Amino acid sequence: MTTPILQAENVVKTFGQGHALVRAVDGVSLELQQGEMVTITGPSGSGKTTLVSILGALLRADSGKVVIDGTDISTLSEAGLSALRARTIGFVFQSFNLLEALSVRENVLFPAHLAPGGVKAAAPRADEILEKLGLAERRHALPRTLSGGEKQRVAIARALINEPRLIIADEPTGNLDSKSGQNVLMVLHDIARDDGRGVLIVTHDRRVEDVADRILWLEDGKLRDRKLDAHEWVRDPVCNMAIDSWTSEIFIDHGEARYHFCSERCRERFTATPETYITHLSNNRAALERRS
Amino acid sequence: MFNWTFRELFSSPQQLLASVAAVASAFALVLFFEGVFAGESEKIVALIDKTDADVWVMQEGVGNMHMTTSFLADWKIDAVAGVEGVKKVTPILYLNSVFEAGGRNWFSFVVGMEAGDPRAGPWEMARGARAPGPGEAIIPEVIADSAGLGIGDKVRIAGEDFTIAGLSRDTFSMANSITFVTLDDLAETISTVGTVSYLLVDAEPGVNPAELAERIKAEVEKVNALTREEFSARDYSIAVQMGLDIVWIMTLIGGALAVLLTGFIVHSHVSERERELAVMKALGVRDRSIYAALLLQALAIGLLAYALAVALIYLAVPLVGVLSPKISLGVTTAALIRSGSTAVVVSLIAAIIPVRRVLSVDPVSAFQQ
Ligand SMILES: Nc1ncnc2c1ncn2[C@@H]1O[C@H](COP(=O)(O)OP(=O)(O)OP(=O)(O)O)[C@@H](O)[C@H]1O
Ligand SMILES: [Mg+2]
Repeated sequence: MTTPILQAENVVKTFGQGHALVRAVDGVSLELQQGEMVTITGPSGSGKTTLVSILGALLRADSGKVVIDGTDISTLSEAGLSALRARTIGFVFQSFNLLEALSVRENVLFPAHLAPGGVKAAAPRADEILEKLGLAERRHALPRTLSGGEKQRVAIARALINEPRLIIADEPTGNLDSKSGQNVLMVLHDIARDDGRGVLIVTHDRRVEDVADRILWLEDGKLRDRKLDAHEWVRDPVCNMAIDSWTSEIFIDHGEARYHFCSERCRERFTATPETYITHLSNNRAALERRS
Repeated sequence: MFNWTFRELFSSPQQLLASVAAVASAFALVLFFEGVFAGESEKIVALIDKTDADVWVMQEGVGNMHMTTSFLADWKIDAVAGVEGVKKVTPILYLNSVFEAGGRNWFSFVVGMEAGDPRAGPWEMARGARAPGPGEAIIPEVIADSAGLGIGDKVRIAGEDFTIAGLSRDTFSMANSITFVTLDDLAETISTVGTVSYLLVDAEPGVNPAELAERIKAEVEKVNALTREEFSARDYSIAVQMGLDIVWIMTLIGGALAVLLTGFIVHSHVSERERELAVMKALGVRDRSIYAALLLQALAIGLLAYALAVALIYLAVPLVGVLSPKISLGVTTAALIRSGSTAVVVSLIAAIIPVRRVLSVDPVSAFQQ
């Protein structure tokens, strides 16, 4: 196995003192590999944002060790942390956080001046990413004219512009309707699977649990095991996301069965080469049956 | 980052315009006061410049027209006229005085000129005679208008009554108006006989004024002779000396006002954009880059404000001439440079105001809703 892109060992962070002391993160250890999508979930106030702030080199831990891409970040100065964030980590926020005065394309290119090649070198990459995320036509638009889903895709494009090896997203679907949310999750999933980046997502969104490689449950600042709730949902044969077949609007009849999809995107993929996904699905079923 | 700096600044044009206008008003105020002062200073030397003599002759040891008195025995008129290269000598008596018109006192310089010879007289007339006869005076049109007087009316100058024979232009300023009477009348009024104050010397064509001045000094005893340029420059510098402190205080007050305004504007910019600044920090932008962006914004506001103030002042020059002829505005390069540098300094100082605010922005807050 390659060295993990992110390693945390016994990370502790407290706020306040005395009676008001809060152990927001209480001895968390975890690892994230390249190409892996890991979800952190848990109740409100359990320390998820605090944890990813530490893992994203935005906040210093009280104790413990965080190693990002081989660097122990406690050894870095503020300037060193800034440089690490700019080049190694892509951030996606719940409230999109686009710069209002800049166009879509300028927003995407904004972090590029913090990377070695600069904006010039990144420009073709920006166009490519915008194209891939279906934003090419909106590249000169201002953020306030975009829908929530579009804004979040722009934010993802911005997170990708410096080709970071680690993506950290805190509630990326929290402000989106279910369809846009699903689309954003798929994009993040592709980033891990196709581009081989490490993706760490904090979310309450149940659907992500089905596409994530691992799910971590954080409670009172500690990681715990959690029993998976039993769902009787059908799975999207392409992305393996859980779909409620009763309310699903995107489906196709193929052979003798009906297949449901999370998005148009998955249905298009399926219609292109149905065979690959049907075998994939039966393998998955087998795996599920083994687990239960 | 550079991109963002200006996009952000221009993203709400109304707000930018209001900001720039506020700062510009501070600069315009300074420029206006300096303009009034420069206008006055120009008026101080108007007589010297506009009568356009080649050389001025005065009492030995005297080198100015203002803040001094010059007396020359009148036989020196002929002595100077005899110097080689002199074409014409025109004597004047010159007095710093107050005259009464329309029930009000007006501060004015009084020039006594030879009866019937307009050589040392007013250079631009509104109405009436160019040269006063005995018992007559030529006063500035501005004073006549505001005192409700016209040709044929009486004014009192140094305790004597004179009849207005002409109204001149370009001879009024708040502190340096010029009135013309005959030399004999003025001599009688101040009880001097056989003396004049200055001699205006016209040179023969082709004669160098500086050389002529040297020759006059050498050949006529106990006189000083200066070319028009030098005489004018000396008097102008007296005016500037007198006003410099005031100008600096004005610049300081206007500058301080502009610092507060610009600082407030940049600070409120920062407060409004705190979230965006947090996001930038989260994305890896360093404090000093954010700070440089704010400095650039402050500089842009300062320079735009300066440009607007300069435009306003150039607009004000003809406007003030029409609306308020008593005020003469002059725009000098020195004043423009001074307020331009003030604008830069103001921006640099103003940008310090939001520093603490910028430093205190926490990148983690980008994760908050
Ligand atoms: N800067 C801070 N100062 C004091 N307490 C803080 C600070 N940041 C977080 N906390 C506390 O730490 C705990 C964990 O907060 P955190 O925001 O990490 O939770 P969360 O799991 O992200 O919650 P949510 O799901 O609501 O976003 C909370 O009790 C919170 O009040
Ligand atoms: Mg949170």
